[in-house]
Amino acid sequence: MKTLRSWVALLAVAALAAPALADAPAIGSAAPAFELKSVDGKPFSLADAEKSNAYVVLMFIATQCPYSNGYNDRMRDMAAAYVKKGVLFVGINSNSTESVEETAAHAKQHGFGFPVLKDPGNKVADLYDARRTPEVYVIGKDGKLVYHGRIDDNSNDASKVTSPDLKNALDALLAGQTVSKTETKAFGCTIKRA
Amino acid sequence: MTRLRNAGAAAVAALAVWLATLSPATAVDAPRLAGELDAKGLVAAVAAQHGNVVVLNFWATWCVPCREEFPDLVRLEKAYRARGVSVLGVSIDLPKDMPRIEKFLSASAPDFPNYIKRAGGDDQDFIESVDPKWGGELPFTVVYGRDGKKAQVLSGKQTYASFEKAVAALLK
Repeated sequence: MKTLRSWVALLAVAALAAPALADAPAIGSAAPAFELKSVDGKPFSLADAEKSNAYVVLMFIATQCPYSNGYNDRMRDMAAAYVKKGVLFVGINSNSTESVEETAAHAKQHGFGFPVLKDPGNKVADLYDARRTPEVYVIGKDGKLVYHGRIDDNSNDASKVTSPDLKNALDALLAGQTVSKTETKAFGCTIKRA
Repeated sequence: MTRLRNAGAAAVAALAVWLATLSPATAVDAPRLAGELDAKGLVAAVAAQHGNVVVLNFWATWCVPCREEFPDLVRLEKAYRARGVSVLGVSIDLPKDMPRIEKFLSASAPDFPNYIKRAGGDDQDFIESVDPKWGGELPFTVVYGRDGKKAQVLSGKQTYASFEKAVAALLK
């Protein structure tokens, strides 16, 4: 019995030591499950969030990236507007260069009303193959990815946005329609991996 | 003859004094942007280096890892220029950041051309024209072989060793 337990432990360690970068999960595939702690110390489980919300928006964000910071107000406002419709926005900071304390202070400074999680060792960024900040993933009612990409097409000036891609995706989902543009791209800061 | 030598020496001395009065920026040409590029212009800039291994690097002044790896590109170009390696830089900064771009280039002193991405249009189109697998993260580097074909893409901050490895494989 003791030998069996040793083997199980060994296999568990081997699984944890798997290559850091997984393939990017495709649209329509299951969103990888994870558990993290928020910057104020509260546990967060994606599985629990999916159970209590119609849709979940994961946003890989940063404290020092000008592209991510260009969206602070938009993220705050969209999160507040959509949470009333059953959409939970979640910020994830995977940068090894930005501490829990700095991330917490940044969230407070910008009035983020949504959970902001710290991703030590960028494990969740690796699960999702997230490369930049900001980069968002929308998880549908069935736990599958329905949108991946940018918030919109203008990080510099919200008044000049011509393609509000995340909003379009959420509005389509809430209206019971399919998302027409499921993958988008934008410039952003590389996630500083450990 | 002595008078001629003296006159020559005086002229050289006068030239030295005149050069010493110039600011460093005018005594040595500060690096400037070579121009702006859209997706088509980018293809033409790479094609103009046909026969060389081309290292195409995308950077921005606000991007810390871009600034950190840039000196390695400057060093790489100097070391491999004679062996047929060309480096091209493309800034993703906005036109309003021009003073910061020029300051950065003056400090970095690259011996290779740097362009700025033409403002306007959808960034997604530009990103996908460079490489369909590029998500838009910076820095990002594409290495082309002597035949002009894309050989490797390097996402995120690189080291001198990783740049060197990428070009050395194509020089064999």
